[in-house]
Amino acid sequence: MSEILIKNASVCDPVQGINCETMDICIRDGKIVESVSGNAKVIDAEGRLTMAGGFDGHTHSAGKINVGRFINPNDARRNLVPGLSGQVARTEKTRAQVGYNTPNTYAIGYRYAKLGYTTICEAAIPLLAARHTHEEFKEIPILDKMGLSLFGSNWQVMEYIRDKEPEKLAAYVAWGLRASRGYGVKIVNPGGGEAWGWGRNVSGLYDPVPNFDVTPAEILLGLAEANERLQLPHSVHVHCNNLGKPGNYATTIETMKLFEKVKPSRDRQALHVTHVQFNAYAGTSWRDFETGAPMVADYINGADHLTFDLGQVIFGPAVTMTADGPVEYANARMLHEKWSNQDIELEDASGVVPLFYSPKSFVNAVQWAIGLELALLVKDPWKVMFTTDSPNGGSFVNYPEAFTYLMSAKRREEVISDFSKMALDRMVLPGIDRELDFYELAIMTRSTQSKMYSRPEKGNLKVGSDADIAIYDILPGQIDPSTEYVKVKTAFSGAAYTLKDGEIVVKDGEIEATPKGKIYWVNAKVPANIDSAMQKDIDIKFRKYYTVSKANYMVEDVYLQNPVEIATEGVF
Amino acid sequence: MLVIKDAVCSLCGSLCDDITVTVEDNKITKIENACILGRSKFVGMLEHDRIETPMIRKDGKLAPVSYEEAIEAAAKILVNSRRTLSYGWCSTSCEAVSAAIQLAEETGSVIDSTANVCHGPTALAAQEKGSPSATLGEIKNRADLIIFWGCNPVHAHPRHMVRYSSFSKGLFTEKGRKGRTMIVVDVRKTDTAKLADKYVEIDQGSDLILVTALRSIINGHGDVIPEVIAGVPKAEVLELAETLKNAKFVCIFFGMGVTQSRSKYKNADAMSSLISDLNQHTKAVMIGMRGHYNVTGFGQVATWETGFPMAIDFARGYPYYNPGETGANDLLVREEPDAAIIAAADPGAHFPQKAVRHLARIPVIQIDPYPNPTTELADVVIPSAIVGIEAEGTAYRMDAISLRMKKLIDTKFKTDEEIVKDLATKVRELKRGA
Amino acid sequence: MQIVKLSLKKANKIPVEADNVNPNNFAGKTEEEIKAIPVWYGNGQCPLGDFFNVKVEGSDSAENTKIVFEGDVSRVKRIGQNMSAGEIEINGNVDMHCGFGMKGGKIVINGDADSWLGCEMTGGEIILNGNASYYVGAGYRGEACGMRGGKITVNGNARDYLGEHMCGGEILVKGNVGLLPAISNNGGKIVIEGNATMPASEMKNGTVIIKGETSDLLPSYKEEGTEEVEGITYRKFVGDVNVGGKGVLLIK
Repeated sequence: MSEILIKNASVCDPVQGINCETMDICIRDGKIVESVSGNAKVIDAEGRLTMAGGFDGHTHSAGKINVGRFINPNDARRNLVPGLSGQVARTEKTRAQVGYNTPNTYAIGYRYAKLGYTTICEAAIPLLAARHTHEEFKEIPILDKMGLSLFGSNWQVMEYIRDKEPEKLAAYVAWGLRASRGYGVKIVNPGGGEAWGWGRNVSGLYDPVPNFDVTPAEILLGLAEANERLQLPHSVHVHCNNLGKPGNYATTIETMKLFEKVKPSRDRQALHVTHVQFNAYAGTSWRDFETGAPMVADYINGADHLTFDLGQVIFGPAVTMTADGPVEYANARMLHEKWSNQDIELEDASGVVPLFYSPKSFVNAVQWAIGLELALLVKDPWKVMFTTDSPNGGSFVNYPEAFTYLMSAKRREEVISDFSKMALDRMVLPGIDRELDFYELAIMTRSTQSKMYSRPEKGNLKVGSDADIAIYDILPGQIDPSTEYVKVKTAFSGAAYTLKDGEIVVKDGEIEATPKGKIYWVNAKVPANIDSAMQKDIDIKFRKYYTVSKANYMVEDVYLQNPVEIATEGVF
Repeated sequence: MLVIKDAVCSLCGSLCDDITVTVEDNKITKIENACILGRSKFVGMLEHDRIETPMIRKDGKLAPVSYEEAIEAAAKILVNSRRTLSYGWCSTSCEAVSAAIQLAEETGSVIDSTANVCHGPTALAAQEKGSPSATLGEIKNRADLIIFWGCNPVHAHPRHMVRYSSFSKGLFTEKGRKGRTMIVVDVRKTDTAKLADKYVEIDQGSDLILVTALRSIINGHGDVIPEVIAGVPKAEVLELAETLKNAKFVCIFFGMGVTQSRSKYKNADAMSSLISDLNQHTKAVMIGMRGHYNVTGFGQVATWETGFPMAIDFARGYPYYNPGETGANDLLVREEPDAAIIAAADPGAHFPQKAVRHLARIPVIQIDPYPNPTTELADVVIPSAIVGIEAEGTAYRMDAISLRMKKLIDTKFKTDEEIVKDLATKVRELKRGA
Repeated sequence: MQIVKLSLKKANKIPVEADNVNPNNFAGKTEEEIKAIPVWYGNGQCPLGDFFNVKVEGSDSAENTKIVFEGDVSRVKRIGQNMSAGEIEINGNVDMHCGFGMKGGKIVINGDADSWLGCEMTGGEIILNGNASYYVGAGYRGEACGMRGGKITVNGNARDYLGEHMCGGEILVKGNVGLLPAISNNGGKIVIEGNATMPASEMKNGTVIIKGETSDLLPSYKEEGTEEVEGITYRKFVGDVNVGGKGVLLIK
């Protein structure tokens, strides 16, 4: 029975509506409790800013990232954020670390923890390659993990939608989540992954997928229906069609509108749209390219059925990695960069392309502005999750830098002052003086995730929640983040304390302990008869088309480290 | 009697997972679906001697010792070493690889895989250009043009063509072989070439020239190519380029002919560029024909744990990577290592003379199920269980898809993973004591 | 003027990593201080004095500091790494990465050099009075740019991949080179007085002049007449066509 008493914490917990109030936090056996005994170990927070551990709900940190590491050995020595990047020798407590955009697994765990983050969600798990994701998860220390399994270009999914078999579709999604030990349904460029199997793409929501006679819109709605029938903790998580194309903001709004009719079966959004920055472009080509953020934000402000995350750009080298195969090929050709591709039989595509965001490029400057415009123009911060789509927009170790953009108009002006006139003409950011405060920042980096992913014990400091806590070296009442953004960045770059399940894992920005985190996965129950009928269909797929057997496809228990099985009951 | 279905074969990079194994009295008595290579792996233990007990070389001869003595002797070698080469790790599980990497990190060793003499250049090529690939099922279901370039699957990957490529049947390839064109590019007419629709014979060491010419033609610069390219007449090269462009889905499978011939990694590098250029006209991918059943796995584990797929030097406490400087043969030929630990590979048989001679001079620890030429050089020998037969573990197929190898029979032998972990524990103990 | 003379006490097989050995680090230091400078030797660090006899004459700034190695240092890597001023003279063979990341100053080697001589160099000068090995003036694995500036002169032969990924600077080889010199270049100038095989593959920009025999010119270059340089007329090739290259390849 281990007890900790955190005294004098300036608590910022939007889930409970607490805004920088000084209070104590009691911890026993890894959970937040009402009170502790006199034997508790005392941590004096000294009035410093205290939040729940950060929750990165969309990061590429296990699986596809390995291709990024593989093709960029030069990333290993990059040390653009000292203390959070570069080659670091092993110590008594820590394994050797490398990298900046594509760090090794140990570095990922340590560096997120240093930022005060305690939970991550891998953005895309291909079903056939899920075991690989879990192998990497096992080597990421400290953090709790979950992952989103890819379904959006899957043969069985498309066939069930085409043949109007919603019950079998739900059974398949449940089975796919179990096979991959996934947490939620990920849809990337719906239908496009299959088109890319022939080097093609889909051009919009109503462009039918070659050979499968379904449209992306049907795929989205079919999977949404299955998602809600299964009462999954998260909504479908969507990377829209036409990512990266000037003019795509229209597709994004169209996609969001499509979901107006979807009724969530749980107390959360019906749709989560990811890295919207990449999908909020106006113009018709790169020449007249400009921000589409105002239009998208406008729609979101009037909608109440969705959440989204930013995909904020960070200047400097980045690595794009996504299941959107056609986008990656186009990137590589346009930017003359290395191109990796891995199409997954019957399921989806993927690509990895390193690139460089430069403030001197007007396109990159506008991309940088768009992420911030979205965050600042959307009025309700509960709709917004902060991400950089790490490392697509930039490495997660830059989150503190990005926080200063959100909290300080002055800091934004500094960056903008380097932009060309052409860039300035294409963005609206210079005209925005809204500055987020710590409360809103907390919402976007931990609180909203609690509801978004239906994880009540995460992202908040309620009694009963996991004692995943971050204490930052900031006195909220005495700092003006608008002008003192350097202090803000420093404080968020190395937590004074990070606690994971009540154990001190970071102290003064250094790793103290490296416990193993948990892996959350969803086991959705489906009636036996529907499951059997679905199994017959996929047996055919395995017999005729897959190159592995069904028995060997499922991720075995041995790959799960401290698993937490979230059971749900499908409605049939 | 136990019949185990869907066992995964632990011989080559095809990682066939449809093997049916019959076990009676803890012996494998029947194997179905395996090819001749796989079969030899499964029945190997019945036909070949095992290393029966741990051994230490005393007065020039290997003498049996207890496991604990062998671990202690091996640990002492590592603790007293300034530059250990840890080599092999490809005919074993990912879990063993992970343990080996941790041991190398703690002892400041250099760790490398058999890719050093095989597909290492494929990694170097990917680091220049990326890796435009797909899983094998994409080939089975879509590819109508298959090219085997510098590889000979009839002998090296016997079931590849039936399970994944030329003869396979999928959703869009119901006609199987009849609906496909198979081309072999090589320097001699191999048995695989004999099955091809077209065999293109090129001059030795001229792969880069032919790939470059194909790129030039496909990119619309046919005017710069000479009359004879790589020993092939221009008309034939033009025709080959047309065939590539007009296919619906091209896959180039490549092997040692591409990675170990003149220009080494630049061949696969140029091939990646060719694939990228081809994708302007049609769909194209390339896949390396990995040899050992888990050399891909080593690359995967090493990459996520250290950032690099092979040739990792931990001397300075963090991983440093530079093939040509930190590769197994680079070190041995320069006589750098003062100790070596070798597992799941046989450099004694496969390495250049100069490298083997150096191995003979330094203390060598061997972990392996079977005695082989490396055993003759070893000073400490520890027998291990065979992954996929006596031990479970993860392995990665040539297309980076992982599968779990099954344990089919019980054994007295410890697994590579256990041995390496015991060794690491002993090393820590000795270091603390010192 | 400060002169520091170093000679190896005993030949070593395990390489010594001498990335701390450069005029910037030695300037103004005494013999004792220099002997205490740590160098990596296998999996541990040792003071430089364990390996080298050190003699120091004078004390000066980096630009006026000269380091002289007497004898073979063929297992001492990274001599002169990141130096920005001063001089190093090596009277023997030298190991890999000599002059890695050099920014200024001068290195003269009277012997042979192992691979990666002048890797990632941005300035300064290296003169090799001997033969070079692989990757002279090249870059690190995966990087788009290798050498960006400075000059390397090889008064002997060099092996494969000379100047790979060169983005600037100059390399002159008096003898022959191996395979694929000037590969993936995007700037800079390479002059080879001897023979070369498969030069300038995927060159985007830059100039390559080969005065000897060129074997196996890759079929990705367009011949465009001739060009005269210092009185010699060369066949002029422009390419690499597959990367939209405007590199100029002049061969005899």
